[in-house]
Amino acid sequence: MTHPFRLNRRTCLKGLGATLALPLLETMGWADTTRRTVVKPPVRLGFMYMPHGVIMDQFWPADAASFRSSPPPALESLRDVLDQCLLMKGITGVPIAPFNGAPHALELSTWLTACLPDPDRRSRINIGISADQIAANHLGAHTSLPSLELATMPQTHKENQEGLNEGYYSHCSFRSPTEAVPAETNPRNVLNRLFGHAGQSGPASNADPLDRQMLDLVLDGAKDLRKKLPQDDQHKLDEYLDSVRAVERRIAAIEDRQKEAAMEKAGVASSKRNASDSPPIEIKIPEGDKRSEYMQVMCDLTVLAFQTDTTRVSTYIGSTPNGVSYPELGFTDRHHSTTHHNHNPDLVAKVAAITAFNIAQYAYMVKKMAGLREGDGTLLDNCIMMWGSGLEDGNRHARENLPFIIAGGGGGSIKTGRFLPDTKGNQGDLLTTLLACAGIPLDRPVGIATKQIKEMMATV
Amino acid sequence: MPLVSGFAAPPPEELDLAALQADAKRSFCEDAEPFLGKYCTECHGSRRMRGGINFAPALKDPGSMAFSRQWKQALASVKAHDMPPEDEDEQPTAEERQKFEAWLGKLKYLSPRDPGQFVIRRLTKVEYGNTLRDLFGVDPAVVDALPDEVVGEGYLNSLSPLQSEQFLGIANEVVSQILAADAPPMTEVRKRLFGEPPAPGEDLRAAAQAVARSLAREAYRRPASEAEVDVLLAVFDLARTNGLDHTAALGLMLKAMLVSPQFLFITPAAEAQAGQTIVPLDDYQLASRLSYLLWATMPDPELAGLADRGHLREPAVLQAQVKRLLEDPRSRALFDGFGAHWLGLAKLEKQTFDAAKFPQMTGEMRSAMYEEARLFFQSIVAENQSVVRLIDSDYTYLNDRLATLYGLETEVAGPEMRRVKLTNANRGGILSMPGVLATTSFPNRTSPVNRGVWVLEQVLGEHVPSAPPNVPELEKQDQEQVANLTLRQRTELHRTDAACASCHKILDPIGFGLENFDAIGRWRDADDSGGLIDAAGELPGAERFASPKELKAIIAGRQDELARNLTQRLLAYALCRPLEGYDEIVVDHLMQTIAADGYRIQTLISEIVTSYPFMHHRIQKPTNLLSP
Repeated sequence: MTHPFRLNRRTCLKGLGATLALPLLETMGWADTTRRTVVKPPVRLGFMYMPHGVIMDQFWPADAASFRSSPPPALESLRDVLDQCLLMKGITGVPIAPFNGAPHALELSTWLTACLPDPDRRSRINIGISADQIAANHLGAHTSLPSLELATMPQTHKENQEGLNEGYYSHCSFRSPTEAVPAETNPRNVLNRLFGHAGQSGPASNADPLDRQMLDLVLDGAKDLRKKLPQDDQHKLDEYLDSVRAVERRIAAIEDRQKEAAMEKAGVASSKRNASDSPPIEIKIPEGDKRSEYMQVMCDLTVLAFQTDTTRVSTYIGSTPNGVSYPELGFTDRHHSTTHHNHNPDLVAKVAAITAFNIAQYAYMVKKMAGLREGDGTLLDNCIMMWGSGLEDGNRHARENLPFIIAGGGGGSIKTGRFLPDTKGNQGDLLTTLLACAGIPLDRPVGIATKQIKEMMATV
Repeated sequence: MPLVSGFAAPPPEELDLAALQADAKRSFCEDAEPFLGKYCTECHGSRRMRGGINFAPALKDPGSMAFSRQWKQALASVKAHDMPPEDEDEQPTAEERQKFEAWLGKLKYLSPRDPGQFVIRRLTKVEYGNTLRDLFGVDPAVVDALPDEVVGEGYLNSLSPLQSEQFLGIANEVVSQILAADAPPMTEVRKRLFGEPPAPGEDLRAAAQAVARSLAREAYRRPASEAEVDVLLAVFDLARTNGLDHTAALGLMLKAMLVSPQFLFITPAAEAQAGQTIVPLDDYQLASRLSYLLWATMPDPELAGLADRGHLREPAVLQAQVKRLLEDPRSRALFDGFGAHWLGLAKLEKQTFDAAKFPQMTGEMRSAMYEEARLFFQSIVAENQSVVRLIDSDYTYLNDRLATLYGLETEVAGPEMRRVKLTNANRGGILSMPGVLATTSFPNRTSPVNRGVWVLEQVLGEHVPSAPPNVPELEKQDQEQVANLTLRQRTELHRTDAACASCHKILDPIGFGLENFDAIGRWRDADDSGGLIDAAGELPGAERFASPKELKAIIAGRQDELARNLTQRLLAYALCRPLEGYDEIVVDHLMQTIAADGYRIQTLISEIVTSYPFMHHRIQKPTNLLSP
C-alpha cells in the first residue's frame, strides 16, 4: 500500500541560503557584477492544472473594459495582480472523437500535447510530445534540472475508458510520443532533488565525477546489449540510455556550479548574482494534510526553483481528474461528482468554491513571484505562468472555450492586464504562442496548432 | 548456458483451430465485408471518418490486436440499433445484422497465434525494492522516493530521468550501507558479496573478475556474458586508477551493476536467431517472470538453480514451482500487486470519508479492512480453494476494531487479525467485506450504482458503459420532494428518465441487494432517511433475490463467469498488457482445464503461468491471416 502524504516534523528551512550549507545557492542570479552589465534574465515557463472545468459565468469576465475593476468571482484572489494577467476566451480544445467515452483521461493528456492518443495503439502510451517537454529540450541545457514535474496525488489511478492506457488519466507531460513523465508528489523529495541536503544521497548532493565516468562505461556496455535485442526492445532500451545521459548531464551541471561556487569563495568574482535580487524564499514543509498547505508548498518549490534558476520549466498537476475532495471547504463531495451539477445551485456553488480555491493557490504562487526582485523588475516579469483546465464546463464535458489564465510578462514578450473576449484559436495555438514567447524555436507547431495567437503578444 | 529449446508441438488450443479459422474467413468475405461496405464505410471509411472512426485499416487486417476494440464497439452499436443511424434510408435486415454479429463472435479466429508484444520490462518500484532487499538485506523502504506506479495491465514500463537519477541515488545509498565499516550485519553481507578479503600478493583484478561474475549472476538474474563482465571490470579499473582501495572499487562496480539495464530490466540471456518471429522465453526470463508475478522479487536459489539446469520449462517442474511459490508467505505480493487493485482496496487508504459521519474510518480501521481482504485472499490461494469461495465463504479475518463493524465486538478482542468463523450468511466473501463496501461508496453515503457497477465489472467481468456527461445526479432532485424517500426510492425515481433506465435497470438492483450494508460496511435495517431497506432485486437473466445472502448465492452460482473474469484479469496482469485477439482463444482453452478441476485457484494460476503467451515472446510483427 502506498502511504498518505504526512510529515511529522515541522521543518523550517529559514532563509534557505543563509542558514543551511547549500553551496549551489550562492551563485544564483544573472547580473554579471564584474562587468557591471545587466544580463537579461531568462524566461521561465510554468503550467498549473485543475481538472473538470469551471462555472462559466463566474469565471469569464463580463467584458474587456471591466476586467480589472470588477473581476468575476473566480478571479478574486488575483485582483491585485490582474495587471500582470492575460485572459483569452475562445480557445477551443482538441475534439476528442473517437474517444468520447474518455473525457477525463483526455482533458489531462491533451492539455499540453494538444493532440489525441493513437487510436490503434491505445493500450500503450502513444501521443505527441507535450509543450513543457519541448520547452525543457531547449531551455534544459542551461539549468541543472531540465524541468520539474509536480503533482499532489500519486499517478496510479486505474481506469481505462475507451481502452486507453491508465497513464493517460494521470499524466500530462510526455517526453516523447511513448513516454509519460512521472511527477514528484512529496515536497521533501522535491526539495532534495532541487538542492540536496546534508546526509541525503543522490547526485544533487554528491556529484561525483567518478559516477559520471562509471555511467559512461555502463552506457557503452548497454549499447552492446542493445545490438542483441529485437527492435521493440531496442526502443525500450533507448529510453534507458536517454535518461541515463540526462543524469550524466545533470552531474556535469552540478560540477560546474560547484566549481563556480568555489571560485567565488576564493574571491574570484565569477558570480552572476545581482545585488538587487531578492534572497531565496523560505520553504516550510507542512506537517498536516491540509490541501491548501500541500498545494502551496508545491507552489513555493516552483517559485524557488525558478528564482534560483535551477530549472526554467515547471508543470504542476494541481490534481488529477480522479476524485479529490476538499474537506477544507466544508464539504466532502468529490470534485468530479460536483461538476455534473445539472445546474443544481448547491452543487454549482461547490464547483465554484473548488475553482476559486484552485485559482487562489495559483494566485499565491504568482503573487509570490511578483514580490521577488530580479534584475530591473520582478521574477514574475520574466515568467509565463499558465493556469488552466482541460474542460470548460464539467457538467457537459464542453471544450469550446477552455479556461486559461496567463500571468507574467515573459520577459516583455506578453502584453498583460487584458481580457481578450473574442480570441480565435485552439489549445495548440495557445501553447505554440507561449513557447514562441519563451524564445523557443519550433520546427513544427504543437499538436493541432496552425498559428500563433499574435494578439497575446506585446509587439502587436 | 542451455540454449533456448526450439518449437514444441502446437499449443493444445491450436488443435482444431484450422476449421474454425476457415469458417471465420468465409464469414468475413460473405457476411462482414459486404455488410460494412453497404452500411458503414461511406461515413466511416478513409474518406470521411465520421466520429473519428475508419474501418478501412481494420478491413485489411481484421484479426489484428489493434482493431479488436473497434470491432467490439461496432458490434455494440449494431446490436443496439444505434448504427446505421435511423435516418439512413437503407437499413440492414434482421438477418444481415445477425450474420454480422455472428461473424464478430468468430473474429478471434482471425487472430494469428501470437503471445503479444513482450518488450523487456523494467522492475516496478515494489519489485525493485524487494530485489534490493533480497540481494543485500537492505530495507526496501530505500526506494520510497521513487514515484508510485500503476502495475499490471496499464504498467507504463518507462524510465524517466527523474527515475534514473533516483536509481543512482538509491544505488549510492545501498553501496554506502554495504561499505560502511562499522556495521556488523553489513560486514556479513559484504563477505557474501565480495568474498574474503584478498590475500597479500593475490591478483586483485582476477579476484574482482570472479566477484563480477558471481554478483552479476544474481543481480542480472542470468549469467553475464563475457562482454558484460568486461564492462564491470572496466568500472573496477576506473575506480582503482582513481585511487580507490580494493573494497571501494568493488563498491563502484556494484553500483554500476545496480544502474545497468540488465538489473533494472528483465533481459534475455541470448540473442534470438535471425528470421524467428516468436521464441520461447529462456529459462532465466521465465524464472524471473514467474518470481516477479507471484513474489514481486527476484528468483530464489531453488528457482535460479532450475533455470541454470534448464529444467524450468518442463510442465511438471513449472507447476510444482507455482505451487511452492504460492504457498510461501512472499506470495502476499500477488494480493498487494493484483488482488488489492482488482478489489479496489488499493485506493482505500487515501479515500475521503465524511469525518463527522464516519469517525471510525481512521488509518487503523482502513488498514484492518485491507488486511481482512488480504488474509482472506491469501487463504483461498494457499488452501487451493475454488474461486467461488471468494464470493461465498463462512469465515473472514478480524481484529477488535474491525469486529465492531460486524457487530462481533464481544467475540473478538485485541488488535491482531485472526480467522473468525461467521454464522451470519449475509457475511463472508468479498461482496460483504467492509473494505469493498467502503471503496464503492461516496464520502457520506452508499452508492447502489457504484456497487452495481463494481459487481458487474470486477466480479462478473461485464463491461458497463460510462454515464453520458449530462446525467442528473441524485442530488439534483428537489430536496423537499425526496426528503422522506429512501436512497432506493430516490434512485428509482431517477430511473424514470428513459435515457438512464436502460443501464440502471441492470446496475441498480444489484446495488440495492447490498443496501443493508452502510457506506463503511455495517449492517443496517433502515437507511439515512429512516425508511426500511428493501434489498430485493434481480440480476440480468431474471434471477431474483431478497437479501445480500441470496444475491451472493446467485453470483456464486455463476462460477464460470467468475473464474473467467479472474483468469482474464490475472492473465492481463501477468502479461502487463490488455488481452486482445488470440488471447481469447487462449482463455477459452484455459477455462476448460480450470472448470474440470472445480475452479480451484492454484490450478487457475498454474494454467496462466504455463500458458502460451506467458511462456513465449514475439520478436517481430505478427502475420496477417487474410493475406495470401
